[in-house]
Amino acid sequence: MIEEFIRDALRWTDVSIFAYFVALNSSYLVLIVLAGLEFYRHLRRIPFAGADDMFRSPLTLPVSVIVPAYNEGPGIVAAVQAMTALRYPRYEVVVVDDGSSDDTFEQLRARFDLVEVPRVVPADVAYTSEVLSVHVARANPETLTVVRKTNGGKADALNVGINLARHPLICMVDADSVLDPDALLSVAKPFGDDPLRVAACGGVVRIANGCKVIGGRVVDVRMPKQWLVRIQVVEYLRAFLMGRTGWSRLGGLVVISGAFGVFRRDLVVRVGGMDEDTIGEDAELVVRLHHHLRETKEDYRVIFVAEPVSWSEAPSSLAVLGRQRRRWHRGIAEILSKHRRMILNPRYGRIGLVALPYYVVFELLAPFIELSALVLLPLGLWVDAVNLEFAWRFVLVAYGYGLLVSLAALFIEEVSFHRYPRWGDLARGMTAAILENFGYRQILAVWQVKGAFGAWHGRKAVWGTMDRTGFGTPDEPESDLVGAGSVPRVP
Amino acid sequence: MLELFTLAIEVLTAVVVLTATGIVAVRLYRRFKHRKQARLAAGPRRSLLAFVADNGEEGSHDLVAIPEDAWRAAEPHALALLGKLRGEAHMGLVSVFLRRGTARTALGHLRSRSRVKRARAAQVLGDLELRQAVPELCRLLTDRHAEVRVVAVRALGRIGDPAAAWRIIASLDRSDPIPSLLASHTLVQLGAEAEVTLSAALDHPQARVRAVCLDALGLLGATASVTRIARILKEDAHLDVRVAAANALGKLGTRSAIDPLSLALHISRPAALRAAAAKALGDIGSPNAVPVLEALLDDGAFHVAHEAAHALRRIGPAGLAALTGRGGNGHALEALALARVLREEKTAVPA
Repeated sequence: MIEEFIRDALRWTDVSIFAYFVALNSSYLVLIVLAGLEFYRHLRRIPFAGADDMFRSPLTLPVSVIVPAYNEGPGIVAAVQAMTALRYPRYEVVVVDDGSSDDTFEQLRARFDLVEVPRVVPADVAYTSEVLSVHVARANPETLTVVRKTNGGKADALNVGINLARHPLICMVDADSVLDPDALLSVAKPFGDDPLRVAACGGVVRIANGCKVIGGRVVDVRMPKQWLVRIQVVEYLRAFLMGRTGWSRLGGLVVISGAFGVFRRDLVVRVGGMDEDTIGEDAELVVRLHHHLRETKEDYRVIFVAEPVSWSEAPSSLAVLGRQRRRWHRGIAEILSKHRRMILNPRYGRIGLVALPYYVVFELLAPFIELSALVLLPLGLWVDAVNLEFAWRFVLVAYGYGLLVSLAALFIEEVSFHRYPRWGDLARGMTAAILENFGYRQILAVWQVKGAFGAWHGRKAVWGTMDRTGFGTPDEPESDLVGAGSVPRVP
Repeated sequence: MLELFTLAIEVLTAVVVLTATGIVAVRLYRRFKHRKQARLAAGPRRSLLAFVADNGEEGSHDLVAIPEDAWRAAEPHALALLGKLRGEAHMGLVSVFLRRGTARTALGHLRSRSRVKRARAAQVLGDLELRQAVPELCRLLTDRHAEVRVVAVRALGRIGDPAAAWRIIASLDRSDPIPSLLASHTLVQLGAEAEVTLSAALDHPQARVRAVCLDALGLLGATASVTRIARILKEDAHLDVRVAAANALGKLGTRSAIDPLSLALHISRPAALRAAAAKALGDIGSPNAVPVLEALLDDGAFHVAHEAAHALRRIGPAGLAALTGRGGNGHALEALALARVLREEKTAVPA
């Protein structure tokens, strides 16, 4: 009797898990189709988008680019050089050295001839560390500011940067990011087109590993050499480029990457700046903006632009990737827990009724379901709850659908932006879409579950270090190596 | 159930294979198309460059005679070239476009059902700087799609016909107006002849309209409007409009603006207005403003004190002397340090 009950329970659980996989992949497919429509719309409008007019206008809203840096010594000079050479009419770069123990500051001082200046730091948003000194570039004192502070974590560094930012728009960029020359223009443009409503705008982040970078510019896009990173390229295309564009079209974007996003400074100040207690401070800020603007019943938009892009180095070792994904999932768990009042609350519109519930069901819980499938399916086989015929079909359909979703993302990329021009890279991308189902997704699920448990059990968040290998093509030593160093840590 | 799974596997396999084939097919098609376009455009592009090199004096007949498919392939390049040219070469290339019927086609497309076609046509007419298109472009200012209205405004700015000023101003007075900064920039592009219209619009009941006109007047250097702008700075009911008035007075830079701006610094005024007024006094750069700005260095509002200190820095020796006299003040120290860096760089500011 009990055995029969267990068999029935396992059978139905396995069927439910299967239904979950179908629903999950279908939702991805819907987002990819929406992204495809959005790209079509975007590409048709390029001839009259008016980027040049915006560049020439004396009234274009100026931007403060805030770059938090922690132990970025080997790559910081190239990164800042690239950022100070962006195509934008009026902007400043504020580098916040978050107590680096390496030569990050010395590198900057030597290259940009920094001079120390007294500066009154307003307390528009709270920060916990101590500002040690403020420096400006001798040749360009109003364009480049470098702040030295005691280590307080990325969110704290960003808060100091927000306080020092002089312009109405703030752009948060990781110190290891390489921006396309027109990236700032594109991401700030929605603020000029719809100044009363646009509250924040995210830019797409692509993987720079393997690309040829010269003078702080990605000049030749290539697939990385390691399969671990190639799989991440496909993953970024599917989840970040397509997923976020789809959510933007639905009016439910809740994540703007800290690696590249522009915000209205007054709104960021109004909601209190970055949350230092959340490890996913970038997404948390966006959710908090939604929270605040919905409560105050303001008409606003949070949007995502798919081109041009910010290039970032992805982890090339399992250890670093594991730390990153634990951190990301912990961030999701913390944010959903902190803003749980919004979930399924009609007061928060489609954010409360669609986006956040989706994140609970298909982002937060997905690794749990995936791992439970890995355990329960063999268990069902063992106790004869399901037969082998069912099991192999189950696995094939679940992962086959996942493969289809990845290929659909590659198809849309090929139709729209086709950033990888080589036939070999195309083949590698398609192969990576197959390979990610064999081990990658499963180990990812383990890390994500650990990250979620870390958030729920209140364990101390650790950023850890990331040993960057740089973006340069190994056989071309003249290429700049941008992005060596470590990611900031939360104390 | 098993049959359903089997069917799903078969369907999935077919779709996966189709998608993979589609990726390859798309790439093959794009490469083929790209090569064909490049081949077609090569000749016209050479002719275009030769035409421009000759300052538009020779070769226009050759350009007009280019077959339609080849011209279509080279047209984006030709339009991009238009934006970079001035004088005779620009006029010559515009004349080629006109003789090829581009303007006529674009004018027809302004009434297309497709908003993308309307917007593209407006863009082309703006690139051609075609004055005859102004009435039609003005009509697009009431288009039901915001993106079309935005392109029409930009096109009107490029054409620069001051007759469009009042229509642009009117398009701001609607529930879904064109962006203010774009409107201001366009009004500036219309030139000094638009000043009278802009000045008259300062009495418009809509605060947004007044703010846009103030921005434009400031950038145009409309010194004849200083008295009217000073009145708005003093009397307007909207803070944003008064801030815009202070900014405009700063840009105009006349001495007659010092008194109204000084009055706007009074402690009873909102901090945003006082900060804007302090900044404007720095823009004017008159030593007469030093006493009022110096008094603001200890102001409780950060941005007021900050702007006052930097305004004193920009005023020059008299302002720097006032800052030096307030050695213990953080904002003064900050402004002095920046002045020092700038002086070292330019070696222009006297010690």
